[in-house]
Amino acid sequence: MSQTNQHRHQLPGRVVGLGWLVVMLITLSIALTVLIPPVWLPPSLQQLRYSWLGEPDFVELPANQPRELNLPELPCDPIIAARGEAREIEGLQIMRSPSCNPDHPADVAAFVKGTNNISAATLMETLLTVDAVDKRDDLDGDGDPDRIHIRLEVVELNGKSPEMSQTVPRFEIAPGIAPGFWVFAPKTRGMSTTNFGSLEANRLLRMPSPVIRVEAGDEISITLENTHYLPHTIHLHGVDHPFRDASGEGNDGVPGVSERMVFPGEARTYEFKARQTGTMFYHCHVQPQVHVMMGLNGMLVVEENRPDNWLQTLNVGAGHVRYPSVASREAYDREYDLHYFDVDKDLNDLIKEYNDPRLIAKATNRGYNATQRTAEYYLLNGRSFPFTLLESAVVVDTGEHIKLRVLNGGLEPVSLHTHGHKVRITHYDGVEQNPLAQITRDVVFLSSAQRLDLLLDTKNDGLHSYGSGIWLLHDHREQAVTTDGINPGGDIGVIVYEDYLAANGWPRFFGDMRLYFSPDYYAGRIPVWSASDPEGRFGEPENQPVTTVRLALLGLVGFLLFGTLVILSRRLVRSVKAR
Amino acid sequence: MSKLDRGLIDVIAFTALIAFATAPAGGGAQVNDERAHHRQKDHSDHRMVIDADGMVMNYNENELPRDCAQLGEDVTFDVHVGVRYARRGAAFGFDLNEWQVPPCARVAVTLINDDSVRHQWMVHGLPRYLYPQGMFHLEANGGSRKTGKFIVPSDDRTYLVHCDMAHHMEKGLKGQLKVGSGSGDLPSVPGITGARRPDRYL
Ligand SMILES: [Cu+2]
Ligand SMILES: [Cu+2]
Repeated sequence: MSQTNQHRHQLPGRVVGLGWLVVMLITLSIALTVLIPPVWLPPSLQQLRYSWLGEPDFVELPANQPRELNLPELPCDPIIAARGEAREIEGLQIMRSPSCNPDHPADVAAFVKGTNNISAATLMETLLTVDAVDKRDDLDGDGDPDRIHIRLEVVELNGKSPEMSQTVPRFEIAPGIAPGFWVFAPKTRGMSTTNFGSLEANRLLRMPSPVIRVEAGDEISITLENTHYLPHTIHLHGVDHPFRDASGEGNDGVPGVSERMVFPGEARTYEFKARQTGTMFYHCHVQPQVHVMMGLNGMLVVEENRPDNWLQTLNVGAGHVRYPSVASREAYDREYDLHYFDVDKDLNDLIKEYNDPRLIAKATNRGYNATQRTAEYYLLNGRSFPFTLLESAVVVDTGEHIKLRVLNGGLEPVSLHTHGHKVRITHYDGVEQNPLAQITRDVVFLSSAQRLDLLLDTKNDGLHSYGSGIWLLHDHREQAVTTDGINPGGDIGVIVYEDYLAANGWPRFFGDMRLYFSPDYYAGRIPVWSASDPEGRFGEPENQPVTTVRLALLGLVGFLLFGTLVILSRRLVRSVKAR
Repeated sequence: MSKLDRGLIDVIAFTALIAFATAPAGGGAQVNDERAHHRQKDHSDHRMVIDADGMVMNYNENELPRDCAQLGEDVTFDVHVGVRYARRGAAFGFDLNEWQVPPCARVAVTLINDDSVRHQWMVHGLPRYLYPQGMFHLEANGGSRKTGKFIVPSDDRTYLVHCDMAHHMEKGLKGQLKVGSGSGDLPSVPGITGARRPDRYL
């Protein structure tokens, strides 16, 4: 025995007999077995316990957690909805657009006439600069301008503020959900928010990047004014454009291959004169696994060259085209641009973590690994259900021809299903399919970057349409109809007939949709059937009650047991050492 | 250049009424009273200018704030803006981040934009009865300059100055205008105060 141990053993009253310790251990173990709530044990142990101690007592199962269902108001402001009435501005007949959040008619007029050709009063109603969309020079003498100069800026949405916990400027895709985005945006003036007291992005700064519409043969210039803090470019995917512009500058948007990236504070003009028509695509080509997926991608439509063909050069937020082209008016009653997209929040939310561009570049380019990507959010025209219902419903009437231009700007495939209708695929990636070989079906498939032009014929014949109603229009990959796993969400949209539309542009649904406007719903805090289950048969039960006394005793026993075990083990170690 | 162009490029001047009419609702009863009061007076000395170089909002070289018995000093300064003035870890910068003027001064500011994209010099918190939304605003297109004048009130106060384009304030374009001795410093003004929620460099 060492000196120390000898010394300790000589101290009176400090030593408890080994026998006592063992008795205590057994007593405490039995107490623990009795006190521990059976539900905490694995099923096999529970069985063992009941076979020893008899069947458990009957206990009423927990009641539902009391929950007051505060249904929010539908965010369908009649004043905003009134913007959807047919209107004449700047001598243009802007089409009616029944919707809770229609495009502002002044914006539409500015994009049709050109921001340089409208009255000061109309320009004031928009948030645009004088040079945002400059139109001039009827080169072919057919009554419309043929030199079109579009200026795009790059805008961050929902990024970190060094001053407050909220991200700025705010753009929600669904109630309470605001992933970070970078978007191309028209050149606007003044405040980026709706007013100084608000953090909400103004109506022109939003997802997705705007649809660009140009006429074949026009001299198009798109100036990228890089107002963002990282380098970007524009690549014109599928659009007829020269590799270099007239001055020998790169024009394909690929860093290193055709050009140098456009740095913050710099501007570059991309030029083209498209010989072919069709629904195309444009996107940034810098670190595309990051930049495209942050939102820097949009639809680009080349329309046929027709006389007096004044085009709505930009369709902000995509959706209904309130001033369609001459060719579109001839063949179709209405036209909709549908931009599908998916978001991996692990990437998009990185801009909420950092403010320093160096840290953001590091985190997105080198920290984020696109091969590990999973998508949580699925967007139609920059929003998820139920916000899609506020602004991206495909409104139709019986016996119409509707043109749908569909782009998959995301990385997940899209299997678009039209309830109640079969649509005809007229164009693939902007190229017309042989009319004799065109396919009519109810699920159309788009891989990443693909475009389809669809004819939605509302002839009620049981094939093209089953008749009037509110018919879902959604991606049939079922994860895509959720928002981070909560259904209904994702890219759910609707085809809604006029007779199913309320005056404010809201579809007259059978059920109450207000629940889905609650941020708590998408945070997973509300049982999904709350609105249709007033008795709470599928409500959220309280946690199983374990009485406080029992818990206190259990704690005490546990503590004593632990103490006994510690003393015993020390004894054991000491005696082993002694040997 | 078309006639229509020249029409716009020639300075378009609007009375503040337009800004009032388009200002968002919900400013409170006091603001509404001020609006009504303002409409009756119909003065044209502070106005909105939009042209090819940018814009000026709430230009005011004559009308005194209520608390100023008489016009103070005339103060003139230039503000340069662009990526070349950015501090480390920012994207954009003003050449200075603090400006100081005497009470009731008439301030003539020229914003000189050395970048090829838009920037702004926007002051907030001015009296709303003179400046719709409490704001004086200069906006210069890439490579352009824009000048405007405004008259500051008499009390010692620090006003927020920034570029309100999305993330330009966050990425360096924040400053403060001190009238008199000012009322302290604002948070996260580059070169003056630190960020309340700084990045971590680990
Ligand atoms: Cu980019
Ligand atoms: Cu700026």
